[in-house]
Amino acid sequence: MNPDIKTFSNDGSFLLFDSHFGITEPDIKKILSAALSSGGDFAELFFEYRMVSSMHMEEDLLKESSEYISMGTGVRVLKGDQTGYAYTNEPVPDKIRQAARIAAAIAGGTGSVRTAGLSRILPPSQTYDIRLPMHELEFNGKYDLVQAANLSARKFDSCIEHVQVTLADEIRSVTIANSEGLFISDIRPQMRMAVRATARKNSRRNTGLCTGGGRVGLHYFKDVATPESIGEKAANEAVTLLSAADPPAGEWPVVLGCEHSGVMIHEAVGHPLEADANRKKMSIMWDKLGKQVAGSIVTIYDDPTLPHLRGSLNIDDEGTVPVRSVLIEKGKLVGFLQDRLSAKLMNMNPNGHGRRGSYQNIPIPRMANTILARGDADPDDIIRSVSKGFYAKSFQGGQVQDSGKFTFSVNLGFLIENGKLTQPVKNATLIGTNVQILNEVELIGNDMGFFLGTCGKDGQSAPVTAGTPTLKIRKMTVGGR
Amino acid sequence: MAASQKTRLDLALELVEYGRRAGADQIQVSVNENTEFSVDIREGRIEKLLEADARGLSVKTIVDQRVATASSSDLSPDTLRALIDNSIKRARYANQDPFAGLPEYQKETDYPDLKIFDPSVPEMKPDEKIKLAEETERICLADSRVAKSHGSGFSTLHGWSCLANSEGFSGSYSRTAVSCGVYLQTGSGDHLFDEGWYDTSCSLKNLWKPEQIAEKAVHRATRLIGAEKVTSCRVPVVFEPVMTAGLLGFLLSCVSGDNIYMKNSFLADCLGEKIADGRVTIIDDGRVPGAPGSRPFDREGVPTRETTVIEKGILKNFLLDTYSAKKLNSLSTGNASGANNFFLQAGDMDARDIIKSVDKGLLLTGTIGFGLVPTTGDISRGAFGLWIENGELSHPVAEITISGNLGDMLQNIEMIGDDLTFRRSVSGPTIKISEMTVGGK
Repeated sequence: MNPDIKTFSNDGSFLLFDSHFGITEPDIKKILSAALSSGGDFAELFFEYRMVSSMHMEEDLLKESSEYISMGTGVRVLKGDQTGYAYTNEPVPDKIRQAARIAAAIAGGTGSVRTAGLSRILPPSQTYDIRLPMHELEFNGKYDLVQAANLSARKFDSCIEHVQVTLADEIRSVTIANSEGLFISDIRPQMRMAVRATARKNSRRNTGLCTGGGRVGLHYFKDVATPESIGEKAANEAVTLLSAADPPAGEWPVVLGCEHSGVMIHEAVGHPLEADANRKKMSIMWDKLGKQVAGSIVTIYDDPTLPHLRGSLNIDDEGTVPVRSVLIEKGKLVGFLQDRLSAKLMNMNPNGHGRRGSYQNIPIPRMANTILARGDADPDDIIRSVSKGFYAKSFQGGQVQDSGKFTFSVNLGFLIENGKLTQPVKNATLIGTNVQILNEVELIGNDMGFFLGTCGKDGQSAPVTAGTPTLKIRKMTVGGR
Repeated sequence: MAASQKTRLDLALELVEYGRRAGADQIQVSVNENTEFSVDIREGRIEKLLEADARGLSVKTIVDQRVATASSSDLSPDTLRALIDNSIKRARYANQDPFAGLPEYQKETDYPDLKIFDPSVPEMKPDEKIKLAEETERICLADSRVAKSHGSGFSTLHGWSCLANSEGFSGSYSRTAVSCGVYLQTGSGDHLFDEGWYDTSCSLKNLWKPEQIAEKAVHRATRLIGAEKVTSCRVPVVFEPVMTAGLLGFLLSCVSGDNIYMKNSFLADCLGEKIADGRVTIIDDGRVPGAPGSRPFDREGVPTRETTVIEKGILKNFLLDTYSAKKLNSLSTGNASGANNFFLQAGDMDARDIIKSVDKGLLLTGTIGFGLVPTTGDISRGAFGLWIENGELSHPVAEITISGNLGDMLQNIEMIGDDLTFRRSVSGPTIKISEMTVGGK
C-alpha cells in the first residue's frame, strides 16, 4: 500500500521525516532561532506525517476503502506560562520560518536565549509490535480479516440483521526538534477493528459493538483477538440486548466488570490528575497532593511503556521518554500526568504525557494507558457480595468536568439479585463526583481487562487504553427509568 | 473569487481530468483552505495565541460501481497523482455496489447570497480580538460569585471550499466564522460547578458583545451554586433552548440516511407515521441567510435546500446524501455534509410561562456524558438544572440523571417556546416534556 516504507524499526524512525520534509539541520536551527527572536524561552518544531488506510464493509459488501494523508509542521514558542503556536501544511523552510515568526510574537521582546546544536537521537526502546505491520498487508489480506469478522457476527444468531465492520491502520511519523538541542523521531503504528451488529426480534432492534486493536500488526489477530471473536462479541451483545430491560433509577451498589470499566478510571481519576488543570488550580484535585483521596486498596498509574497497547508510546509528542507514572498509591495522591510546560511551572519532572491531536495542536497533558492495579478479590465473590445492585458490562463512553463530576454510560448491564447476575439491562448513565466515588471503592478483583478508547480534550483526540479489574462501588447513582 | 481560490478550483478540475484518463468512471475532487486565529485569555493574560493556514484535498473515485476515497493535506503534485492512481487501484478491489455513484448534475447557475462571508473578519487585527476576549473574562471575574476562570477565547476563521466532479459540477464558496466565549468555575471546597457560554456567528457585527456573553456565562455558572441531588422521581422536564438543541442533535442521527438504510435508527420504518406531538415541526434548511449551517451546496456538490423532516408530528423526510437516497429509492436532500440548519420551529409560548405551568419538575440547563442509542432512541445522561416547585424556580440540582426514550419524548412535547434563534447549526426553542425519569438519591 505504502511503498516508501517496507519495514520500520528503531533506526528507521527518521525515515519518513527525511523523505517528506527534506529540511536540513542547519535550516531547523535557523528556524528555531527565528522562533526565539522575540524573547521566547523555549522553541520547538513538530513535524508530522500520517498515513491512514481504512476499509468499510456493510451488507456483506466491501463498500469503500480510503486513504488519508496528513502532513504538517507546528511551531511552538513558550514564554513563561504563555504559548505562541502556528502551523503550516507546506513542507518548505520559508513557510515554516513564517510560522516561526508568528509563534515568536507571543514573547513580544528581544531574543536572548540561544539555540543549542542538534543531534539526532532515537527512542531508547520499542513498545510497538512492529512484526508484520498492517501497512505491508495486501488489500486482499485485509479484506479477508474484515470478511471473517463479518461472517462470524452474521452466523452468530439468526436475529442478526445487519453487520458493519471497519478496519483502519495507520503509520504516524512524528519528529521533534527543540531549542535545547533535542532532535528525536518516532514511527507509530495503530490498528483498530470495529464491528457493529444490529439484532432484530419482531419490531425491536438493538446494536452491539466490539473493537480490537492497538499499536500492533497482524500478530494481534493471532495472539490477542481473532477477527471472528470481535465479530462474535458484537453480535452477542446485540442479541443479549434484545431481552434487556430499562434499569431502575436510584442509588445502588455497582459492580464494574473487568472488560471495559477502565472508562470509569479514565474519567474519575485520569482527567482530574492531568497537570494543566492542577497547576491552574481548576481541578478538584489540585490541593490534594500527598493526601489520602481513596481507600488504601486503590492504586492507579498510567504507563505508556506497556507494550503494544492503543495508548503506548516510545516518546511523547514533546520528545520526552515516558515513564510509568503512579497517580494514586494505596489511596494517596502521589503524582500528576505531566507535559513540559506544567512540569516546569509546578517544579516537577515531565513524565512523558505531553500529547497532541496533530501538528495543528499544542501538546497538553494526556493519559496513555491508565490502569487501576489488581486487587485480591475473586471476581465471582465480588458479584456474590451484592444482594441487590447493578452490574456494568460494556460502555459507550464517559465525560468529566474539573469539578470532579463525571458520568459513564453503560451499553449493556445486568441486575444483581442475591449475588447472581439476572436480568440484562440497557443504556444506563452512572453519575458521581470523583472524590466521593473513589472512597466508595470496596472490592477490587484479581483479574484485568482493557478498554480501547479515543479520548477528547480541548478539541484534540488521542488514542488511549484504560485497564481495570472487576470492582465494586458501594453506592452510585444509576440513571434508569 | 480570490486568486488562490481560482487556482485551487483549477487544480480540482485538472485532477478530475487526470482521474478520468487514469481509468475512473466517475471522480470528485474537493479542496478546502482556511486561515484560523485564536487567542485564549486566562486571569487577564494571554495563555495561547494560534495562527495558521490549513488546507486539504479529498477525492472519491468510482470504477465499475466500486468506490474508493482518499484525502491529503500534502498537495505536492506527485502525492496527489499517486493518491488518485492508488484510489483507482483500490476501487477495483472493492465489491460492486449497484447504488454507488456521484450525484447527477443539477444546474444551478445563481446561488443566493447566503451572507456567510463577512469581509471584515479577515481584516480584523489580532489586538482587537485579544481585547474582546480580555473584556469578556474581565466582566465575569468582576462578579464576586465567580470563583475562577477556565479562560476566555476569541477565534476567527476565513476560508473557502471548492469542488469539481466528472458529471459537470464545479463550484466554490467562501465563509467566515467568529466565536467568543468564556468558561467559569463557581462554588467552593469540593462542591464546584463548571459552566460558561460562547457565541458564534458568520459576521462580526452579529456576534454577541462581551457584556452579553459574560452575563449569560455568569448567570449559567452562578445559578448552580449549592446544587444537590434530588430523590429519584418521574416529573415534567423543561429544556432550555441549548438543551433542546442537544436533543435535536440526537434526533438528527436518527433521521440520517445511513442509519435508516442500515436500520440503526428506531425511526427507520416510520416514514409517513405520526411520531411526534402535532405541535412539532422540524426542518433542515441550508439557505438561511447568515446562519452558521448555511452553505450553497454540500460536499457532493448537491445544492442545499429546505427539507421538512417532521411536519405537525408526521415524519415526512429523512436527511439524505446521494448514496442513502438511492438505497431508499429517493433523492439527495443536500445533506452529504450532515445537518445544515436543523431546527424545531418556534411555538408561541413565553419560556417563563412554560416554567410557571410546572407544579414540580426540572428545568434542564446542562448535561454531561453520552448514553444516546439511535437504534432504540434510548437516552440516559447526567444532568444539571434548577428544580421547579409550584411554577417557581426553587433550588439548583446536580449529580442526577435524566432518562427517557426519544420516541416517547417527541410524543410528549406539550409546550414549545417562542425563543428560537439561529446561533448554532442545530437549534431549538424552550420545550416542555410531560414526563421523564430523574435519577438521584
